[in-house]
Amino acid sequence: MGRYRIGIDVGGTFTDFVLVDMAKTRWWFHKEPSVPEDPSAAVEHGMRALAGGFGAALADVELVVHGTTIGLNAIIQRRGARMALVVSRGNRDVLEIGRLRLPSSYDFTAPRERPLVPRDRVFEIDARLRADGAVAAEPGAAELEALAAALRAADVEAVAVMLLNAYRDGTLERAVADTLRAALPGVQVSESSTIWPEVREYERCLVAALNAYIQPLTTGYLDRLEARVRGEGVAAPIYVTANNGGTLSLDTARRRPIDTVLSGPASGVVASGRVGAAAGRGRLVTFDMGGTSTDVSLCQAGAPEFTASTQVGDFPLMMPVVDVSAIGAGGGSVLWVDPQGVLKVGPVSAGADPGPACYGRGGTAPAITDCYLALGILDAERFLGGRMVLDADAAEAALAGLAAELGFTGADRAKRTADAALRVASAKMAAEITKLLARAGGDPRRYSLLAYGGAGPTHANLLAREAGIRSVLIPAAPGTFCALGAVLADVRRDYVRTARHLLGAPEALGSAADGWADVAAALDALEREAEAWVSREGSLVGAHDFVVSFSLRYPSQAYELDVVVPPDRRAGLDGEAVAGLFHEEHARRYGFSDPGAPVQTTTIRLGVIGRVAPVELPPAEPARTAPSGQRDVWHDGGRRPFDVFARARVGAGSVVRGPAIIEQADTTTLLLPGWQAEADRLGTLHVTRRAAA
Amino acid sequence: MKLDPVLVEIFCHKFTAITEEMAITLQRTARTTYVKEAGDFGTSIATPAGRLFAYPANLGVSGFLDSDVGPALARVGPLEPGDVVITNHPYESEGLSSHMPDLHLIAPVFSDGRIVAHCWDFIHSSDIGGGVPSSISPRFAELFEEGFQIPPLKLVEAGEMNRDFLTLYRANCRMPEENLGDVQAMLAALRIGERRIHELVAVHGAETFLQAQSDVAEYAAAKALAVQKKIPDGSYEFWDYLDDDFNSEVPVRVRCKLTARDGEVHLDFTGSDPQVEAAYNIPTGGKRHPWLTLKLMHYVFSHDKTIPLNHGMFEHVTVEAPRGTVVNPEPPAAVGIRSATAIRLNEAIVGAMTRAEPRLMPAPSGGIMIPSVLVEQDDATGARKVMVLQSLVGGTGARFGADGVDGRDSSLANQRNTPIEKTEEEAEAMITDYALRPDSGGAGRWRGGAGVVFSVRIAKHGSAVLGRGMERFVFSPWGAAGGAPGAKARVVVNPGTNRERELGKLDVFHPEPGDVVTIMTPGGGGYGDPLERPAERVREDVRYGYVSEQEARCAYGVVFAGGVVDTAATAALRGRMRAARGSLRAFDFGPERDAWEAVFDDAAMSEMNALLMRLGPNVRARRRREMFQRIIPRLAEGAVVPLPERIGEIGPARRRVREELERLEADLALAGTGTALRPVPRPAGTEEGRPR
Repeated sequence: MGRYRIGIDVGGTFTDFVLVDMAKTRWWFHKEPSVPEDPSAAVEHGMRALAGGFGAALADVELVVHGTTIGLNAIIQRRGARMALVVSRGNRDVLEIGRLRLPSSYDFTAPRERPLVPRDRVFEIDARLRADGAVAAEPGAAELEALAAALRAADVEAVAVMLLNAYRDGTLERAVADTLRAALPGVQVSESSTIWPEVREYERCLVAALNAYIQPLTTGYLDRLEARVRGEGVAAPIYVTANNGGTLSLDTARRRPIDTVLSGPASGVVASGRVGAAAGRGRLVTFDMGGTSTDVSLCQAGAPEFTASTQVGDFPLMMPVVDVSAIGAGGGSVLWVDPQGVLKVGPVSAGADPGPACYGRGGTAPAITDCYLALGILDAERFLGGRMVLDADAAEAALAGLAAELGFTGADRAKRTADAALRVASAKMAAEITKLLARAGGDPRRYSLLAYGGAGPTHANLLAREAGIRSVLIPAAPGTFCALGAVLADVRRDYVRTARHLLGAPEALGSAADGWADVAAALDALEREAEAWVSREGSLVGAHDFVVSFSLRYPSQAYELDVVVPPDRRAGLDGEAVAGLFHEEHARRYGFSDPGAPVQTTTIRLGVIGRVAPVELPPAEPARTAPSGQRDVWHDGGRRPFDVFARARVGAGSVVRGPAIIEQADTTTLLLPGWQAEADRLGTLHVTRRAAA
Repeated sequence: MKLDPVLVEIFCHKFTAITEEMAITLQRTARTTYVKEAGDFGTSIATPAGRLFAYPANLGVSGFLDSDVGPALARVGPLEPGDVVITNHPYESEGLSSHMPDLHLIAPVFSDGRIVAHCWDFIHSSDIGGGVPSSISPRFAELFEEGFQIPPLKLVEAGEMNRDFLTLYRANCRMPEENLGDVQAMLAALRIGERRIHELVAVHGAETFLQAQSDVAEYAAAKALAVQKKIPDGSYEFWDYLDDDFNSEVPVRVRCKLTARDGEVHLDFTGSDPQVEAAYNIPTGGKRHPWLTLKLMHYVFSHDKTIPLNHGMFEHVTVEAPRGTVVNPEPPAAVGIRSATAIRLNEAIVGAMTRAEPRLMPAPSGGIMIPSVLVEQDDATGARKVMVLQSLVGGTGARFGADGVDGRDSSLANQRNTPIEKTEEEAEAMITDYALRPDSGGAGRWRGGAGVVFSVRIAKHGSAVLGRGMERFVFSPWGAAGGAPGAKARVVVNPGTNRERELGKLDVFHPEPGDVVTIMTPGGGGYGDPLERPAERVREDVRYGYVSEQEARCAYGVVFAGGVVDTAATAALRGRMRAARGSLRAFDFGPERDAWEAVFDDAAMSEMNALLMRLGPNVRARRRREMFQRIIPRLAEGAVVPLPERIGEIGPARRRVREELERLEADLALAGTGTALRPVPRPAGTEEGRPR
């Protein structure tokens, strides 16, 4: 076994690194400027920096976990493969029609998404199943030959195959796909029943099509990455972070790149769960505010919440992912004043380039980061540990320009504008958090806001105050949190089967056939498949666990509830027990249940988690706390002195009383008057309202 | 605005968050599919007077922002803390509930003994009794057929649930427990709203809270006015038609005169047809109403996406909706499918605005919403299973600068469709086609969105296919600013075989096993001169299969040779077409409407409606129907026969119009002198009810 683990997260501006010395429970964090043309170059630079800066012998690395946005960016920017889609006859417009809804009911100018595959590269064949899994139409050899010829003529790099009802049985789809693989060497083929065999043709089609769309780019990138990492002398296995908060081997990631597209935010939530649990806080609102985006999610009992469908770029993605919602454009959110003289924040973003006015890259519109700077929350000289000097005059000028439109005058007009903008931004984000909690039926007073990302700690106290959240957690290294999450994650993959059977006690089933034998057989088959997969994911993977859940409903209902089988109930599970879990959950959610009725399964879901030997979070050094200085911060309508602390000096057990600013290389924490921060054993700051004296 | 504008902006977000939290609470805890999946519900907070001062951005039904809960509250009398008012009554609530499956709840929020706001929500309940399961059918003529009427009353009085009411309710609808589960969810949502309002009042004080209500409205009003000022001053008239009134083949006309003065907009629906003896009437109370102002809201929002959603948006809008017409029926006229008429009404407003300035609005969409339904019968037991096949809509209309959207239409409900695989889980029948319909989008500089083709192959004996909301079989979605109309809707059985048959409008059809029933939805209207559409764009449309080479040549004047555009031939053809057609028409209504209006011009129709309005509401509809049947004897042959053919010679038909008007006037004169209306001979070959 080696000594080090390395977590790497590629962002738009920086590539973040976490190096763990397993022998000493010591951690190093590093930020390397990203190289957008080839993100693996920044990985190589960072590896060298780790070796040089921290003296880590790269030959002693036992594990590299990497988060990449290459697939996501390809989807968002539409730079994926030239691809084709093969569908059942009559279903050519599955991507054109989608699920019918347009983005806005109010706005007739809101365009629909551009289809992933243009209509002239969608091919129909006489192949489909019936809903019971029987083959209704099967293409002959001649038809498949003609199809291969057409695809060759279309000059595509990748092909997705989605046949109607193939979620019931992938045999026909695989046969078509295999024929195409044989006929079209060099073309990557994804069939829907292999990638994600769940009912709903549009969503399943998208999963397969998106996989195909990003596969050539992703595999190319992972090949380069692997070569560069090996070139630095690292022989350790490389894993890639996944949408479900787990990790995958390089080999799996090459075959299933779609599993990795939303991994960045998922890793942050995984890290949140660990840090929150270590801090004794299981119920979390995670708050990741960066330069160009703000993401939030919930954790219950330290575990991320999952959703069975989310959005990626313009498209719905029907796969289990850590449930992260984007709620704003982060520090780059642009301020503007509408013709009625009302101040607005976003949704336009200055992005990273030109970025806020204070970046000095030619941006003239004031953004949220300019507000932090103008109010004195940020120090122009010490942004990103001094690696980027901010232009305070540019921020002031940009804000002053807007002040006139708001009717603010006088020397403080820029500060008043900035203060107003932060209030508006807080109100907007608090509204989103209210909705997030409402969806879970949660009370904000029982949650902690765990803030990370470059701007998360800066805005967290303002947001918590606005949202009625009483506790804020600031981890030790908030700026490289997603890289941290990568290192902490286990190997994980999810499986799904659609299976419609009735379950229940004999008296509830009456004359209906008990479907448990079929369900149990399907579940066993899934477990065997998952076991076979996880056993090939690498020697680092130890024992594995299953997470079993069912989508269930009463037969008369049109909607389902997802019911997770508690691990201690898996052994000896039977249909009656599953039905019982459903009745309980239904009663809990809706206040009633019908134990006399049978329960219908619609979907069986299985997660397999391959445990990787855990990493201890590093304890913080105890340190005496004293302010390193003071500076004036404009707050709630006036200038007042805030103590300034260096984060490294806020050691375990020390308490900082607001108003204060706590600075560190990767972020700045704002502590409001009346609030205090106490550092725990790991250096995590617990920010709470001080009891009235 | 009296408050600091920054605070106003913050209140906008806080108010919206309250309505959204209510919506999430309602949907999360509701029981029925209508609420959970289709999202057919609404939540909001209202001023003490009853106007909605915030609305969710993207949760529930978007269209009810202009609702007024005031009249329903006024019916109930004094309110006290802990009261919750319920109603579903279209007339007693003065249009708050616009058909009876919609259950509305209102809870006053008190602070220091006075009302500072109301919380409101509604759901479309799955059944409220009446003549058919789910309570909606076009054939109903009166409210009494449409279910259990609940005038505004206290469901909860000072915290005590009215158990007598629940008993009565349970006895009068088909699935009371499911619906009462939803009512519990509605109450939970009201409680959340109330709690959040109390929190706001605690922080800001009641005075500031009330001031903020008027300030956010004033803010929205200023924004809406700025957008409405883009409408040039003047009066603009337009009308559109429902294909028929269900009981006969007589079309129903909705007429709108839009008058704009410096951003102030007045919508006058005078001249719209008398109320009908079918469920197509829109109960508006004759006042500003969500169904009358919806399209203006879309217009304003599309031009200023930052406008806060509240009643202030409508501050500079007034309406006139004469009593006794389809847009303000007298009780007890049935209202279940008011949405069908509302679509046409919206298009009348769009047309009037287009007359004012063609760049303001898109051409109309396919303009239909068909929940197509399949009934299958168990061979052994005969038990029937009812399944939604698909929610079918057409494409959207083109507008200045953009093609319409193919195969989708957000203009009324913006619903999701049903996956083929979900339908086939339930049905034995197989969906053999769900695809875009080539050449259906109206040609134009910007092309209308294509409609769809949907086919089902029947598997079982005793099956039936049903389709409500079948419209645009007779009158096309019109083209604007030189654009062509979209293709009309069709229903065909066994297309492309020797057993092919055009079914026309489908109410209930009983196919045989093996039959393929195909429904084709209309395309959206085109915008601008098709001959100005760049040949390259037409080539793309052909390459992608939205447009055939044949259509490219006939409608766009683009000639292909071996798959590429023949530039010279195209230029020549376009030149010839330009010369032949003369000047561009502001609107292209298609041959059916042209023929219809050659007989029934606006003056004649306005005169006829004015005369009919002098008759009692009970005889108006029948007299009207009979007049049309005498004027156009072949009208009853239905949509399978082209309308111009049914109309026949224009001259004689116009003479018959004159005769009928004179006869009606004479009858009214006699009636005016106290003489009873003389009996009018019924035209030969017509019977009561729908002749199909």
